[in-house]
Amino acid sequence: MEITNPVHKPGFWEKISVERIKVELLRTAYGQSMTFLSRFDPRILMAWYAFFAITPWFIHNKVILLGFLIAIAILTYTSKPSLLVLLVLAIGLISDAAYMLVVSLMFGGGLAAAWALSTLTLKLLVITLASIAVFTSMDPERLSDGLLSLGMPAQFSFGVAYGFRMLPILIEEYNNILYSYRLRGKSPQKKSLRMLIYSFKLSVIAFYPLILNTAKRTRTTVEALEIKGFTYAMHDPKVKKLKLSYLKITLKDLAFLAVSALYIAVVFYLGSMLEL
Amino acid sequence: MMTMAQAQAGAQAIHAKTYATDMEVNARVDKQADAIASTADSQQANVLATTDTDVQASAHSGTHHAADEQAIIEVRNVSFCYPGAEVNTLQDVSLRITRGDFVAVIGSNGSGKSTLCKCLNGLIPTYYSGDFEGKVLVNGIDTSSTTIAQLSKHVAYVFQDFENQLVRPTVFDELCFAPLNFGYENYKERAQQALRMLDIEELSTQWIWQLSGGQKHMVALAAALALDPEVIIVDEPVAQLDPAHARLIYEKLAMLNDTYHKTIIVIEHHTEYIADFCKNVILLDQGGRVRWSKPVDAALSAIEELQELHIQPPQVTQAMAALQLRDPATQLYPVTIEHAAQLLQPLPGQQLIQPEHSASSPPEPLNIENSSDSSDRKALVIIDNATSGYQSMNKQHTATLRDINLTIYEGDRIALVGNNGAGKSTLLRLIAGIRKPWSGSVNVCGNDTRSTTPEQLSDAVSFIFQNPEEMFIADHIREDIEFFLKARKQEQIEPFINHIIDTFNLSELQQRDGRLLSGGQQRRATLAIGLAMKPTVMLLDEPTASLDIVSRREMTMLFDELHEQVQAIVVATHDMQLVADWATRVIVMHNGEILLDGRSEEVFQQPHLLELAALIPPQIVQLGHRLQWQQPALSVEQFVKRMKQLTLLTSAGPSPTR
Repeated sequence: MEITNPVHKPGFWEKISVERIKVELLRTAYGQSMTFLSRFDPRILMAWYAFFAITPWFIHNKVILLGFLIAIAILTYTSKPSLLVLLVLAIGLISDAAYMLVVSLMFGGGLAAAWALSTLTLKLLVITLASIAVFTSMDPERLSDGLLSLGMPAQFSFGVAYGFRMLPILIEEYNNILYSYRLRGKSPQKKSLRMLIYSFKLSVIAFYPLILNTAKRTRTTVEALEIKGFTYAMHDPKVKKLKLSYLKITLKDLAFLAVSALYIAVVFYLGSMLEL
Repeated sequence: MMTMAQAQAGAQAIHAKTYATDMEVNARVDKQADAIASTADSQQANVLATTDTDVQASAHSGTHHAADEQAIIEVRNVSFCYPGAEVNTLQDVSLRITRGDFVAVIGSNGSGKSTLCKCLNGLIPTYYSGDFEGKVLVNGIDTSSTTIAQLSKHVAYVFQDFENQLVRPTVFDELCFAPLNFGYENYKERAQQALRMLDIEELSTQWIWQLSGGQKHMVALAAALALDPEVIIVDEPVAQLDPAHARLIYEKLAMLNDTYHKTIIVIEHHTEYIADFCKNVILLDQGGRVRWSKPVDAALSAIEELQELHIQPPQVTQAMAALQLRDPATQLYPVTIEHAAQLLQPLPGQQLIQPEHSASSPPEPLNIENSSDSSDRKALVIIDNATSGYQSMNKQHTATLRDINLTIYEGDRIALVGNNGAGKSTLLRLIAGIRKPWSGSVNVCGNDTRSTTPEQLSDAVSFIFQNPEEMFIADHIREDIEFFLKARKQEQIEPFINHIIDTFNLSELQQRDGRLLSGGQQRRATLAIGLAMKPTVMLLDEPTASLDIVSRREMTMLFDELHEQVQAIVVATHDMQLVADWATRVIVMHNGEILLDGRSEEVFQQPHLLELAALIPPQIVQLGHRLQWQQPALSVEQFVKRMKQLTLLTSAGPSPTR
């Protein structure tokens, strides 16, 4: 039985603990089965994503990019991404913008140059938000099946799903190994630069035992896969068909593509009329 | 009152009958049948002295005795050597397992049990390319001339490490995986069917990582069933489970054996489960030889042989052997509580054997002062109203511990028991300082854990993780053991480290990476790491999980030896024998709360508490209950001592009226 404790408010450091990151990652991967985007076929979503991940690079019109951004921001909002992911994104964008501003000021470009460079920021924003919207809405299973049906090798598509399956175990183990170092090690005096270096050093070296343990645990997994007929299935096209038979492109998917296409057309039209 | 001999004679009649039915089931070897026939007059006929010839004998009797007994597995003169290994892991193994059997494979660590089972599912020789000689036939198929996939339809294998054999994110996906890979169109029905067979349909949509250990094991078993194999091999089902879950797994296996006529093969250390559920036992010697294959009661009463190979016979069998109480019909020691109780229980109308504590059989002196009168002892750990827990995926804070109040005193040897998920690990982590309380406080040797780093706390506390591999952070064992002292730049540590390494019998292994050791060796290494920290309080999470009987005894002896340095020990465990014969204080946890904090016998006297916390008392305690002793003996020694006193009493007293 679970007992909820509404009183507890985690502190900042608790929020960025390894455990918390695990929870956030799992939520990102599996937590949102009922968002707007999750209703569509993974292949349609991948095609949709491919468009928004590639075309921004070739568009220099800020109106069009802004048009993209509005639609994608709304979709991102509906897919309820985790705050942690958004935080990482925000840090990336802010540092990117700050660095461009500094560079343009240093080289005498002034604010005009920074304004011109902000197109790039806009592009990055569109692409990252599109990634977040799609990948938080599509659980690794559907992603992996989608990849398989698009002709990716079975090992690769299995790897995607398996990676996510192992993620919580690996993070937990990493956490424990980290504590193994801490429970036997000696830390420098509190709140000094050396403490920071110590923490950083530990977080890196804890990966070594993790990798060795993973190598070992893989043995069971590989044997289990062999017994469960994984290699057998790879040589049988019938299995692939059977496995993917649940993936069907329906009217709903086509409607989604049509609406998207219409929206893109309108944005392009507006882009040709207006200038920013 | 009656004497032992009379009790024995009385039970004879009942047992002659039950044994006859056993006989049919087990198809005993001719030799034993002869022995049984002659036991009535000859007390010396010793069935236990059976030898290697038994294997041949059973094969022999199988063929001409019962024509309906088909062999589903036949192993003929198999030897196997892993690539790169110097000696054979299996040496000239010949076996025959009949359809519908429930067999236990036993043997000490490193006797090739798992290797043997991998020969049966074809991983050897197809997947492991070592030196393979001989022949294995499964359902008439030669394993060396077929594929593993083909064999999987006949033989299912559930690995000991059940975590890593589950490869899909949800339970239902996992169950569909194998049937789908083999191209069965009805893979969903097969998955459903497997869920139904084990009665775990409610798990269907769960994520694998949210399951408890017991549930994971059940899912691994269900995944194996989805291919509808005839043979199911399960590698050490109880090693990682709490006693109630372990029993549940065995009950399911027995059901599969009974209802669905599956042939079940288990690799098992815990003989009490073998006694209760299995039909036959195969004993592997060191070096991968089959010593014998016998029906379960004959196998488990071969006490000396088992102990010589570091296998602990069931407690009742040990007790009955110490009392020299054999079943009059078979000349075997009883292996189940039921059977032992019948032998010990008087006939109807006679008085119960009731120990009289006040008179001549006082129970073992217990350290009563430890639990009740603690005022004069130093408090080492004070937990005051502490609550702690985890955040779950839906962002809710789930308390795994609620308002815990606990004080640990100098000299305490605490067993922390309870079902999986009761909060035992969280409590240990609170004391070790790697988890801070949400509210309340935890004070360890004068340090408030909220304002102390785990590094600082480690001067007083050492914490042994459940998974040994998470503790191997250096290149080899010796370096791991030195880590703590070196980090503190201590001089002259050589003699101390050498002493620790010697005590744990690790001198030959000290230059090896911990991950490459066997389960028992790994456990010893982690204990050495913990003790090299010279802790005041030692915390251990499931330390006896994969220890054989000798290492387990060594461990508790070391604890005693170290009492000057280590002032308190807290062990989270499912090992009820450890609770019964080592702990001075038992804390029963359930749902994040402490249900009981007291002495072992208090715990074992409260059946509802045991049930709540998914605990099963050791066999010897259960036997005491069955005999309606008010204060059951907690160890075999206690039991035997008390029984002997009783017999002395009764034989000295007036002769019983009949």
